[in-house]
Amino acid sequence: MNRMRGIGALALVGSVLLLGGCEIGQKEAQQTGFRGTGMVNFQDKSVLDARFDSVAALIPAALPASPAPTPGPLPWKNVQVLTDVSVPELTRTMIAMSTWVAGTGNCAYCHNLGDLSADTSAQGDTLWTKVVARRMLQMVRDINANYEGHVANTGVTCYTCHLGKPIPNGIWTYTNVNQLERYYLDRNAVRVQSHAIPASNDNRSSAKQTEWTYALMIQMSNALGVSCNHCHNSRAFWSWEEAPPQRAKALLGAQMIRHVNTEYMGPLAPMFPAVRKGAMGDAPKAQCRTCHNGTYKPLYGYPMAKDYPALWGRPAWNGQPFPAIPVDTVVAMR
Amino acid sequence: MAMLSFERNYRVRGGTLVGGDLFDFWVGPFYVGFFGLTTVFFTVLGVFLILWGAAIGPTWNLWRINIAPPDLSVGLGLAPLAAGGLWQLITICAVGAFVSWALRQAEIARKLGMGLHVSWAFSAAVFAYVTLVVFRPVLLGAWGHGFPYGIFSHLDWVSNTGYQYLHFHYNPAHMIAVTFFFTNCLALAMHGSLILSVTNPKKGEHVKMSEHENVFFRDLVGYSIGALGIHRLGVFLAMSAAIWSAICIVISGPLWTRGWPEWWSWWLNLPIWR
Repeated sequence: MNRMRGIGALALVGSVLLLGGCEIGQKEAQQTGFRGTGMVNFQDKSVLDARFDSVAALIPAALPASPAPTPGPLPWKNVQVLTDVSVPELTRTMIAMSTWVAGTGNCAYCHNLGDLSADTSAQGDTLWTKVVARRMLQMVRDINANYEGHVANTGVTCYTCHLGKPIPNGIWTYTNVNQLERYYLDRNAVRVQSHAIPASNDNRSSAKQTEWTYALMIQMSNALGVSCNHCHNSRAFWSWEEAPPQRAKALLGAQMIRHVNTEYMGPLAPMFPAVRKGAMGDAPKAQCRTCHNGTYKPLYGYPMAKDYPALWGRPAWNGQPFPAIPVDTVVAMR
Repeated sequence: MAMLSFERNYRVRGGTLVGGDLFDFWVGPFYVGFFGLTTVFFTVLGVFLILWGAAIGPTWNLWRINIAPPDLSVGLGLAPLAAGGLWQLITICAVGAFVSWALRQAEIARKLGMGLHVSWAFSAAVFAYVTLVVFRPVLLGAWGHGFPYGIFSHLDWVSNTGYQYLHFHYNPAHMIAVTFFFTNCLALAMHGSLILSVTNPKKGEHVKMSEHENVFFRDLVGYSIGALGIHRLGVFLAMSAAIWSAICIVISGPLWTRGWPEWWSWWLNLPIWR
């Protein structure tokens, strides 16, 4: 009898210890496939809320809207990207960018304070931070304008990746020929599964290639904090018909990252100082985690871009028209 | 069907849990009882509903017939028959039939003055099933979390549900359950082969008994669990396998939503080396 009691006590202590590692909050489930297929995404509501709060608490509040533009010629000498917004809106965007990337009010991170329009410092060195930032502005406008299928009406700002610091998370540079991240640049060969039953010799994918795909997929899963079911029906990982729409979004995202790396990050290599470049002298590049930071939506979908028309790259945001500079001003600028 | 000469001696009155003497009779070799009737009722109705589900479904291919639970949006309510309602009724029938079968085992054991070990052992398997299709869906707030009835479809469910947690083999309770299943196989193989080895001697040799069995295992591994002990162990292993199976699925979702590999971070986070 004593022995039974001992076993019972042990079992109780053991169960409590096991439960100690568990989530006890209310669960949310989202069905992503036909009923009964097990295509469900789970979230623990309290864990999710806590994470959202911790992310939201750090997001800088939107700056007060800028006053209406006054007609008249624009004073700029060297503005190359933000040519379609008014003087106060440009200033407001610059201030926001300092907070998102360089540290609030740290104009000198990019600018020559003696001549804000210059691309060189007082000593005559190229301000690489300014040149890179200019290109990044073009990139953000490109993403918001042309990748609506991925960024939807949330959009991206500098803060989405930078999170208030100069170097975003998850950037990568060349290491070796087998590097997974090359998928985000120029490597394909992800599709290793045979579709036919029985499998034929047409599929020459090796176990090594398969492991490469697996590692890449797990990297994406970690980057988004989701399970395989977020994008796949595990019955047939290759099948698009049975996959949730998130998979198409992810593919578009991968194409977007390639575009970012080939058109924007890669060509900037000559601008970066050696300390910011990889061992092989290439520019830092992005991957899923750079924006997503472990969340299925960057910043849990916190809508920052809507408050900054200069970053839109499109004439309207959720029906709100672009507050461009008055026509006569544009004419005056020409 | 013929009755063995001594069998009549064991067909005694009483021991019923429900219905008194009303259903206390045999049909051929089978004891009926109240729970025999309910078993047949639920089984026939359930099979009919499965056939109905197959008939309104897209295929008669035995592998692909699928009777799926409702959408999650139905929650714990009733679904239309063709959209999960049949699954709900079939689940009721299955639980009814399995529980009836366990209670019929109990009635027969009582009638014969035996212990209720068989009922309890079978109940472990019923518990695992009910956990899968009733307890877990209720804890998660929707019948849609139950698994579908179909050969391929339930495998697809298992696959996707495994991948929901990235790698289900890292589920600690799943580890324990699998260990019990394999140990169960080992114990049964050792016990079965041992009994066959002593009951099938060479021509001219006598059938051997417990002494030989015990000596064999003492010679082999230094210990013999004994004739009664091996059966205690067998029931323990088998029931543990079923119960830990139930635990491993009921904690997946209600108590854990992330990848199971991540659960093991508690080990990395132990204060001694964190």
